[in-house]
Amino acid sequence: MNEIQYIGETLWPRHLGQLLIVTGFVTAIGAALAYFFSEKSKEGLTNNPWLKTGNWAFTVHGVSIIGLMALIFYVMLNKMYEYAYAFNHVSDDLPFKYMFSAFWEGQEGSFLLWMFWHIILGWVLIWKAGHWRAPVMMVLALIQVFLTSMILGFYLPFGDGSSKIGINPIILLREVQDAPIFANAEYLELITGSGLNILLQNYWMTIHPPTTFLGFASAAIPFCFVVAALWRQDYKGWLKPTLKWALFSGFTLGTGILMGSAWAYEALTFGGYWAWDPVENMSLVPWLIIIAGIHTNLIAKSTGHSIRATMIFYLLAFCLVVYSTYLVRSGILEDTSVHAFTEMGLENQLVIFILFFLFLGLGLFFKRYNSIPTVQKEEDWNSREFWMFIGAMVIAIGSTLITYSTSLPVFNAIIQTFDPLYASKVIEDPISHYNQHQLWVAVLMSILTGISIAMRYRGTNWQNYKPKFWGITLFAAAIAAVITWLLLFWLNIVAWQYVLLLFAAVFAFMINLDYLILRIKGNIKASGSAIAHLGFAMMIFGIIATGVNKTYISSNVFAQSGLLEGMEDEDLLSNIVLIKGEPMFMRGYIATYQGDHFDGITRSFDIDFVKIDEDANPIAEFTLSPNVQYDKRFSKIEAANPDIRRRPLEDIFTRISRLPAQQIDLESAREIEDSLRFETYYMGLGDTTFTSKHFIVLDEIHHEILHPEKDPAAKDDIALTLQMRIHSLDSDTIYTALPGISLRGAFVFRYPEQIDPLNMRLQLSDTLIDDLFLAETALDFTTYEVARGETFEYNDFTIRFVDVNQEPWHPSYDPIDGDIALSAILEVTSKLTGSVERTEPVYLIRDAIQTNFKTMVPEAGLHFRFTRIDPNSGKMTFLVAEQAMKTFDLPVEIAENVPRSDFIVLEAIKFQGLNFFWLGSVFMMLGLLLSLIVRLRAKLG
Amino acid sequence: MKKIHIVAGLLLIGAVVLLIISTSDLGTYYTFSEAELLEDNRNVKVIGLLSKDKEMVYQPEIDPNRFSFYMKDEAGEERQVILLSEKPQDFEMSEQLVLTGRFINGVFTAREMLMKCPSKYQDDEIFVRSEI
Repeated sequence: MNEIQYIGETLWPRHLGQLLIVTGFVTAIGAALAYFFSEKSKEGLTNNPWLKTGNWAFTVHGVSIIGLMALIFYVMLNKMYEYAYAFNHVSDDLPFKYMFSAFWEGQEGSFLLWMFWHIILGWVLIWKAGHWRAPVMMVLALIQVFLTSMILGFYLPFGDGSSKIGINPIILLREVQDAPIFANAEYLELITGSGLNILLQNYWMTIHPPTTFLGFASAAIPFCFVVAALWRQDYKGWLKPTLKWALFSGFTLGTGILMGSAWAYEALTFGGYWAWDPVENMSLVPWLIIIAGIHTNLIAKSTGHSIRATMIFYLLAFCLVVYSTYLVRSGILEDTSVHAFTEMGLENQLVIFILFFLFLGLGLFFKRYNSIPTVQKEEDWNSREFWMFIGAMVIAIGSTLITYSTSLPVFNAIIQTFDPLYASKVIEDPISHYNQHQLWVAVLMSILTGISIAMRYRGTNWQNYKPKFWGITLFAAAIAAVITWLLLFWLNIVAWQYVLLLFAAVFAFMINLDYLILRIKGNIKASGSAIAHLGFAMMIFGIIATGVNKTYISSNVFAQSGLLEGMEDEDLLSNIVLIKGEPMFMRGYIATYQGDHFDGITRSFDIDFVKIDEDANPIAEFTLSPNVQYDKRFSKIEAANPDIRRRPLEDIFTRISRLPAQQIDLESAREIEDSLRFETYYMGLGDTTFTSKHFIVLDEIHHEILHPEKDPAAKDDIALTLQMRIHSLDSDTIYTALPGISLRGAFVFRYPEQIDPLNMRLQLSDTLIDDLFLAETALDFTTYEVARGETFEYNDFTIRFVDVNQEPWHPSYDPIDGDIALSAILEVTSKLTGSVERTEPVYLIRDAIQTNFKTMVPEAGLHFRFTRIDPNSGKMTFLVAEQAMKTFDLPVEIAENVPRSDFIVLEAIKFQGLNFFWLGSVFMMLGLLLSLIVRLRAKLG
Repeated sequence: MKKIHIVAGLLLIGAVVLLIISTSDLGTYYTFSEAELLEDNRNVKVIGLLSKDKEMVYQPEIDPNRFSFYMKDEAGEERQVILLSEKPQDFEMSEQLVLTGRFINGVFTAREMLMKCPSKYQDDEIFVRSEI
């Protein structure tokens, strides 16, 4: 077979990219080996050739991978669709600001992002990690070897030819897809990118993945330190530098998770900030384990206890990061998660990745287990470390439970390989499933944060401190009990378990507040933990408040109850229909859908809310405008964006869950148009016409368009509106309709009227235009020669030639330089009715040729031409013809099976106290950041 | 025995209890006929494929929380389903569905649904630049 010579492809990025991938892979191996020998050689830092080699190799590795990213970015930016990655993730109309989002939308891009952060952190380590450099960097380089293998795209020379290592991110589209189009040498002219999912065209998508991946990447550093410490058998020196890295990781990963949560709440339509979705869980668990590690690390640093636990936590944190990558990317969560990737053939590679580092870390740990120092004297029950350690254990237990439940699909898959008939186990209701055990974890964690902060390390001077401890604790508990009792008036909590959790959270809050204000007296350097724990307590409070009091206010109990027999939980029914202009009673609110407006492809719906009290008196008013986004061609709705009213204690979240079918996509609109049955009725002025369900009176005929959708700037040549009154046969309501039709240049514009409550549409028949616009030949013109100011008579009309207009306007006249153009202002008075109309027929000399433009006075049925100017007498010649507008037998097309188009389906949720969750999470992150900064500065100072 | 070991032991016992409790509410995927036979009112999960050739009815003017369609479960049985919610965006494009619900008056009534749409990674469709 002949090779096709493709036209228009740019191939140098393909070759350069391949080179960079191979270089990146080889240098990562090289760096790992060099660092390994560097550590083995036990030479000093200054003159160690292996260390230098390692640093160089890692730097070349970094430059290669970052170069590769730049190259892919270049390919995407230039819309080179011959590359699969560009084809799959960008499109011609994708704005530059979403280019980064497009970059990490795909699996390859997100692996690269992850590697990018490892490289940056690696460079920081080379610069800062002192004597830990070699062993720590060896482990990091090893991790990079595995990650680079994910983008190798190397096909194994055995097996069925489909087994491969990694996916090459800079591969050509025709190399991965086998489509007939590639038989065409100029295929590139024909294809266009599929672009970025519109849900991801969002600023959150720009900042959330890099932050989360920085968190993931930094979780690897404590792992590296633990392996290094075990390898060196230096069990104390690593604690200090590692704590900083763990704090950094806790801060970045936590921020990343919270960003995802904020995104889910305000831009996506998950209807909340946390759904116990497997993907969410598996980013939370590594974070929890790092937090547990930070606590035991603090204990170890202060007392020498808990070194083993700290090691285990840090080892597991990284392995869990890789495990979460596996869960998200292997496709195993397809049935249980809303946002998992589908499989890409990397599953086995990811399993090897996890197992390798699990065995490396835990293997080394258990080999060294007995040599890891422990403190012989046990922790006193009155010491801070005792309760902190228990707190860390509680976090670990909570994480284990989450991991276990989230891993069910993995267990199912494993069991099914041995027993294909095994029925998959599945969580039936994730929210209640997770809540029922995490509730107890949260209760214990809250109480322990309180107790442990009230204690002192090693129980120093307990005898003197004892009364104070009990004083603080009991006082906080008493105040917490009172506050909890008061809060129950605001929050409608029934279950005693939630009351207990509420108490625990308030207790933790009080005791940490006491610590912050009275004990460390606002000393900012020592306040990190107290601020973080205050944040934790507020978060728990926010979770209870929103969790127990999340209410669908978009529900009308009277209108909706009993729709389904046997359904008790009407609370679940989340949607309500709002008809334009009709106020609707909902739970505690009256909502009125006022109208909609377009801004580009975004269509917003204005909904007025009136908050009412129990006696239906208005308390507050506000307007929310949730919107939907159409695709570029308005062929279908791509996304619905919520609008939220944020108040300190209460959020109202609204979302358009559905629109009338004809507004969702073109196909449905066409289907509905096709299903309409129009019948033509011939109406006369003043007559009454009966349709099947209604009767219609034609009240007036207007010679202009009165329809609200008419662009007021546009001028019609001729126009007709029939003003009609529609009476329903079975109600007293009367509707007025103003269907119109007009001619503008060569285009006919129709202005149909839809009466939604009657399911009726009225439109004027096209033949009316013909009636209006009689052929010129049918007109019988009479000639008049008049001077300015003179009057002449025509039939029942008196016509006065008022003046000449030097700047004439006529819909058909397009002025050109050199034109001699005039219009005559004619005033037409009817002798019968006395009505006065004006018209301006136009006279034009262009290139020495005389011509003119006709005008019409529709009310009088008169046509005018301005044909000549006598240069001697100054008299002007007008042609006048009468053609009265018909007032009977006017064809009107009416359909009476039109689906309503004047409503929206709305989902509205009330969240109480959600801001406590956000505020608490900000405090928690600030606390972590503060602890990190204090420790970083201590080293410098 | 150290105090901390006693506390740790207690915590572990607590953890095991929670684990057992949390395992007790696990279910399996049901077929329509299995779900119909259930005596209690609990919600179960049924997995299946959307019957694209059967009618899908959503009339928000009448009831915005009722969307009816047909699904074929894993046993190959095709049944009508009522989803107590709006008709989701791009529903016609979905293939596999996971429903959570129960039989009410002989009809499987779902309160939640997870849709799986064919991913852009899987389809071999090449978007051809259209002529405008």
